[in-house]
Amino acid sequence: MSAATATKASGRTPFKKWCDENVGLFFLIPWIIGFLVFKVYPFASSLFYSFTDMNFFKGIHQYGIMNYVEIFTDKATTTSLLITFKYAFITVPLKLVFALFIAYILNFKIKFVNLFRTIYYIPSILGGSVAIAVLWRALFRDDGVINTLLGYMGIQGPSWLADRSWALFIICLLRVWQFGSAMVLFLAALKGVSADLYEAATIDGASKTRQFFSITVPMITPVIFYNLVTQIAQAFQEFNGPYIITGGGPRNATTLVSLLVYNYAFKSNEMGMACALAWVMFVIVCILTVIAFASQKHWVYYAD
Amino acid sequence: MKKAIALALVGAMSVGLLAGCGGGSSSSAAASSAASTEAASEATSPAEPAGATVNTTDPITLTMSWWGGDSRHEAYQNALAAFSEKYPNITVEASYGAWSGWEDKKSAQLYSNSAEDVMQVNWNWLSQYSPDGSKFVDLNQYSDIIDLTQFSQASLDACTVAGELQAVPVSMTGRIFYWNTKTFEAAGVDYPKTLDDLMAAGKAFQEKLGDDYYPLALGEYDRMILMTFYLESVYGKPWVENGELQYTAEEVATGLDFIESLEDNHVIPSIPTMNGKGIDANNSIDKSQVWIDGTYAGIFEWDSSANKYQSALADNSGFVVGDEIKFGDKANGGFSKVSMGLAITETCQHPAEAAALINFLLNEEAGASIMGSECGIPNSAAGLSIAEAADKVKPLVKEANSKVMAFVDFPLDPTYESTDLKANPGGTYADVFGGLSYDEYDSTAEAAEDLVDGIEDALASAAQ
Amino acid sequence: MKLETRHKIARFFQYFVLIAVGFIMIYPLLWMIGATFKSNAEIFSGIGFIPKNPTLEGYKLAVTQNYGGDINIWRAMLNTYSFVFPKVIFTVISSVIAAYGFSRFKFKGRDILFSIMISTLFLPQVVLNVPQYLMYNTFGWIDSPWYLPLWVPSLFATETYFVYQLVQFMRSIPHDLDEAAAIDGCGPVKTLYKIICPMLSPSLVACGLFQFMWSCNDFMGPLLYVSTPRKYPMSIFVKLSMDADNGFSWNRILALSLISIIPQLIVFFAAQDSFIDGIAAGSVKG
Repeated sequence: MSAATATKASGRTPFKKWCDENVGLFFLIPWIIGFLVFKVYPFASSLFYSFTDMNFFKGIHQYGIMNYVEIFTDKATTTSLLITFKYAFITVPLKLVFALFIAYILNFKIKFVNLFRTIYYIPSILGGSVAIAVLWRALFRDDGVINTLLGYMGIQGPSWLADRSWALFIICLLRVWQFGSAMVLFLAALKGVSADLYEAATIDGASKTRQFFSITVPMITPVIFYNLVTQIAQAFQEFNGPYIITGGGPRNATTLVSLLVYNYAFKSNEMGMACALAWVMFVIVCILTVIAFASQKHWVYYAD
Repeated sequence: MKKAIALALVGAMSVGLLAGCGGGSSSSAAASSAASTEAASEATSPAEPAGATVNTTDPITLTMSWWGGDSRHEAYQNALAAFSEKYPNITVEASYGAWSGWEDKKSAQLYSNSAEDVMQVNWNWLSQYSPDGSKFVDLNQYSDIIDLTQFSQASLDACTVAGELQAVPVSMTGRIFYWNTKTFEAAGVDYPKTLDDLMAAGKAFQEKLGDDYYPLALGEYDRMILMTFYLESVYGKPWVENGELQYTAEEVATGLDFIESLEDNHVIPSIPTMNGKGIDANNSIDKSQVWIDGTYAGIFEWDSSANKYQSALADNSGFVVGDEIKFGDKANGGFSKVSMGLAITETCQHPAEAAALINFLLNEEAGASIMGSECGIPNSAAGLSIAEAADKVKPLVKEANSKVMAFVDFPLDPTYESTDLKANPGGTYADVFGGLSYDEYDSTAEAAEDLVDGIEDALASAAQ
Repeated sequence: MKLETRHKIARFFQYFVLIAVGFIMIYPLLWMIGATFKSNAEIFSGIGFIPKNPTLEGYKLAVTQNYGGDINIWRAMLNTYSFVFPKVIFTVISSVIAAYGFSRFKFKGRDILFSIMISTLFLPQVVLNVPQYLMYNTFGWIDSPWYLPLWVPSLFATETYFVYQLVQFMRSIPHDLDEAAAIDGCGPVKTLYKIICPMLSPSLVACGLFQFMWSCNDFMGPLLYVSTPRKYPMSIFVKLSMDADNGFSWNRILALSLISIIPQLIVFFAAQDSFIDGIAAGSVKG
């Protein structure tokens, strides 16, 4: 679409000049084709369905904004949205701080560094494996390992799996524990920070902590920003954790939005409702991202 | 490319006829034109089904899908091989997998008219995916090929949606108690046969073994089913009839009181207690230590699940199929339902041959003797005797199934299992029974209102 | 001397943290390895990882099960890699091209296109599944013997995560390099593969690595688009042995899962060197 307007704008100027001004566009051709062929239709149809009572096997009987009204009035959906916010606001900062911290340590000259990096990445590989589901329950059930350990310290542990808040918390833990990908990206970025900068700072007598905050962090802000945006997107779309560990319980306390969307779409075939909920989520994440992008110029350092 | 040419040829030769078949399944498109013409005329003139015959000469390819575990896959594969021996012209291409995710895929296929010719279907799929009969062929048209007289009228009725027999009921199932008698021995009581026994067992477990031990463990849906058994038996009327709930909120409240009394008398653990032990919507009781080591000594489960619960036990020597318990004096109560069926999709181009395949698997010596009880105790009378003669029926499941079938009074309305009600979490049953057990309700009357509302909503939306 | 001690304390602290955290990270894998030798009852009873009565049953079943000759573990692995490799390669190539266009050039509409691209990250895949399925169905790609729906889209930079990731990394490469290249007579295409790609190699490797891991684990895609048992990839094969009604042997499923992640572990272990060394190489050139 932008190609068309660009052509018009450059009007009578020679084709070659237009090409020179829009070289970048040529590199985007595959992406534009991919977007038009693979993304536009699913996106548009899901937006369309969101304004209907689409059920694949009963058809459409009603058009309107009733799904959206229901989302903001029904208890199940509002609670789910609220939980998802909680979930995102707990996991995103925790995961980023943790990943950066570990990446920072791994960036020192450490023996067996390859081994450590691999070990830290293991949870991310295990992902949604059945093993995690089994193990997580063994850890957190009433007489499980965690409570036994707490018992040694004289603490009566909570009922992790039966208590609403704690259940959400252990789902958060699972995500924080899988910090491998964020860590890998931080590592790659940390390696890119030129050693000269540190040498200069050391000569100036700056402490390691000081160096971390005034050299390391600013230099890797593009990657911090990338991780922030993608982690927000992933946290709001989190599905695996509750799906394999709690199934959304106890008493819906871990029914994150994407799990609810899944249930609407595939369990009750209420595609209209599923799409509307997905689009609400979509708008929320977009707003958060716009805010993040707007804040960029205050704290993200780019070489260009 | 070859396929495309073949398709074009077939299309040219039987143009117009093929149109009656809807989308058409690509897998069988390459078949000879003679066969598809025959099949197509079948589909375009449903008014004259009589005389449907199985083509035994032209090469035909059918596709078939099922879900299950290893032993079921093996049984089906062997049975299909035997089918190909009987009909050398018919090739069956199979697609199979685990239950997990299976329904998601099949619903997408059914919606896009790309499902297999013959499908193993869950009972609720019929009303859920083909409420108007548009997805599955009416098998009454093929009664010449499938011997429907082998099936009870009640089970055929259960598979009739929108006036069409959309699937053949492969097996029936129902709920029954299973007990781990080892724990009962330790508590010094026999496993319960009456309600009084059950209550007494609760006390005995608590006193002899401790607070952690329970004679029975019930999840939210189990509670709903047991309550239905209780109410039907006390009031002597079916749960739902003609699309209407037969019980008032007051009557339902007495059922909820009954479930509460089980909890109060230490017969069953509360839902929070079970959640704390790692049992929830995702994780059935057999995957918990409390079942494995006998701390929870009883369950109320499908007859087909006997082996699963037995094999989970660390010491399974005490595992027995219990007796159904009669709670009231008006009726036995309880229900049985179709466990699964075999259906032919409307997009199938060779429905007569597909029907022959179904009949082969369920009614014929060569097929039924291989299938045994892999899909549950055969519902076909002929199939059952063949499977028994071949010694292919699991004794435990057979025992449980006989007890259920001998006991139950009422048929089940398909809405009972609709997702809006049954989903956990989020469904009405889970909300009401979970909420009750988590002490979120002030009274059972309030909970009963919620339950009745939810069920009436579901019935209304099913009637749409 | 004092500095020396402080260094030692710092060192100790570093290793202490690394080992303690590392233990938490690796425990599940150790448990899983142990559990592959356990009986069902033992798996659910505790979380120690040494089996009491070790049995090889799980492995035996895992490697011998072949579903009437249709599919076995090795074929399933082969199937997985037969679409994962093209997918990884195409993703990296197409993403780097798109990222180059987005990050190195100014033209009208760029920012709008970029926002559109980013926004595709945010719509949950679940609601796109059915429309996508219908679309691939009209393309005739369902159950394609070449796994078309699973890798063809990656030819067109549809994996937004990676495009965006590479954009971010590219933006921290100074523009002077491009300009120098232009003065040397390099066109934009040549600049991309002569200058940018080498500088970017660590993140290219990271990109390929993630795509590899995620594609190997993907369950929903193969579930929807592969129906022929002969063509089942590993993620479906693992599920194949799970049945709700008859109960199943957990040790076998865990053994299967374990075998299926070994290649991923090896790939990660081997690839991490190249993304670390790649950086070094890049900065030397810079």
